[in-house]
Amino acid sequence: MSFLQPLISGILTGGVYALAGIGMSLVFGVMNISNFAHGDLMMLGMYLAFFAFTLLHIDPYISLVLIIPIAFLFGYMMEKVFINRVIHHPHQNQILLTVGLGLIMSNTALLAFTSDPKILTTTYSSSAFNLLGDVSVSVPLLLSFLITCLITVILYLFLSKTSTGMALRATSQNREAAQLMGINVAKMSAIAFGIGTALAATAGALIAPTYYIHPLAGHSFLLKAFTICVLGGLGSVVGAGVGGIIIGVVEAMSSTYLSSDWKDVIVFVIFLAVLLFRPQGLFGKKGGQ
Amino acid sequence: MKNKFVSIVAGALLAFPLLAHAAPVKIGFINSITGKEAQIGENLTNGATMAIEDLKAKGFQVQLVKEDDGGDPKNALAAYEKLVTRDGVIGVVGPYTSGCANVVASRADQYQVPLLVPAAAKEEITMKGYKNVFRLNAPANVYSKVLMDAVKAYKPKTIAYVYAATDFGVSTVKTAQDNALKMGLREVANEKYQQGQPDYRATLGKVKAANPDLVFLVSYDADAILLMRQAKEIGLAPKAFLGAGAGYTTSQFAQQTEISNLVVSATQWTDDVNWTGAADFGRRYKAKYAKEPSYHAACAYEAMRIMVETASRNNTPATLRAALKTGSWNGIFGPVKFASYGGFTNQNNHSMLVQQIQGGKYETVYPAQFSKKNLIYPFKR
Repeated sequence: MSFLQPLISGILTGGVYALAGIGMSLVFGVMNISNFAHGDLMMLGMYLAFFAFTLLHIDPYISLVLIIPIAFLFGYMMEKVFINRVIHHPHQNQILLTVGLGLIMSNTALLAFTSDPKILTTTYSSSAFNLLGDVSVSVPLLLSFLITCLITVILYLFLSKTSTGMALRATSQNREAAQLMGINVAKMSAIAFGIGTALAATAGALIAPTYYIHPLAGHSFLLKAFTICVLGGLGSVVGAGVGGIIIGVVEAMSSTYLSSDWKDVIVFVIFLAVLLFRPQGLFGKKGGQ
Repeated sequence: MKNKFVSIVAGALLAFPLLAHAAPVKIGFINSITGKEAQIGENLTNGATMAIEDLKAKGFQVQLVKEDDGGDPKNALAAYEKLVTRDGVIGVVGPYTSGCANVVASRADQYQVPLLVPAAAKEEITMKGYKNVFRLNAPANVYSKVLMDAVKAYKPKTIAYVYAATDFGVSTVKTAQDNALKMGLREVANEKYQQGQPDYRATLGKVKAANPDLVFLVSYDADAILLMRQAKEIGLAPKAFLGAGAGYTTSQFAQQTEISNLVVSATQWTDDVNWTGAADFGRRYKAKYAKEPSYHAACAYEAMRIMVETASRNNTPATLRAALKTGSWNGIFGPVKFASYGGFTNQNNHSMLVQQIQGGKYETVYPAQFSKKNLIYPFKR
């Protein structure tokens, strides 16, 4: 079988992982909080896309126009009401809070939407085209990947060119110094959490047409997002992007050349190796956490 | 005086056993009403409820004591012990899951109260020689056997396995490998996958490269749809997709016609089979519960009917056991007889059915004497 097939499907799947990882990394960078509710926020994105499709008949990719602002507001409010109360607390308190919020979301979803998996079937859900003869490329996955790239570029421009973006980066580099320079760090935290939530929900919505929608579906992505963040360097947006693609490709390659059973083993061996030899992650700053 | 009266009445009851029929027969029912198997458990509850209604309409006096095991073998055993010691039932129908049924079966001989297992597939349940355990449905090895028998005539040469890394997946594939060996099929790929992953394309790509005649799949609900979607994407098209139960037998799967058309699967029961009353049961079930009856519902219906009818004529556990052992029935589940064969004890040698999705509908295609439609082979998109 062509070497290109697992490479391409790995890169495309990795793109969606990357989006989930970037959201988590941004929140960690700015707020120094590990968000364990990230997977459940992804799940909310999946349901938003599902209901936009079934009730409002909006294509899941177009529904992002609605989902992104809704998720941003939801994240912004969540930070204002809950997260900012533990921002100066020890890590274990923050973890307990985010785990708890995640449990509330997933169990509320179980009550409201039941445990029957929902399937979002669009006309292009299982369509693919051939590249170079025998390499098939999934249309929805390619669309998701292109949207991921677009969103990453917009995020990059936002962070490097706008004053809010620069303030976010300043807060991420040194919270106290940023405050002394007159940056409203509390507001920056809320914005960062809002963006993180929007990115998680976007990742959920992007994967919805090719995956299934279930109240606990976010959990398998939480571990991936976390691995990606640490691999790329906690707090590094570029690192999370690259980390996502690496995980996607490694998974696809190891299922092809070893066995599907072994892919998680390979992913975590690489993960441990990075931690051993480059504890700050691939793109992390030396001396960072 | 009072004692004398009681003994006269007791003597009269013994002398005229027909009179005792006036008292309702007490039967226990253990099922997964809550817990993670609750979704399927509901089908069993519906089937059993319909059976009791039908029996009462026919004049049977029955009192059903329902117990929930929550899918947990511990609770199932506690429920069985409560039913036989406190409620004094003379027979028990259930539990649903293999895990629960296996544990309860191991204690049935101790309490000497017959247990009729309606739908649990684990082979072991009727392989230990228990005298009080009866099973209506076909055990796990029949799933793969009937699927392979259905395609045997077309002389496939190679087979690939794609299955979930669960107890069900691993054990079903193990029996499938034995059956494949007997048929002379060569194994060209064996892919066990972790559930809930978004991307199976690499795994399926490997299977495609091996170019098998048959692809044998074992997956749960949503994974089945995901796998078949991605199989279509990468252009995996063997001569037949064989789905062993679970995810390949749901109406949700059948509705995805673009990916599910012509997929073959094994099942215990369908409503278009020509067994007495099967079609009528299907129709009445749909009218009552507004959904298609799954095979679980039919299993529970027939198990409950057999238990109550037999228990009404034999009102002690010992005579009930003897009657179950020697009796034979014919109803919506085809001919039923609890026999000992090939290592099994009190096992109904149930003929499983093979169905194929044709135009978004499950059609029974094998065995020929039970089906109206023919198998479409080879598979084509």
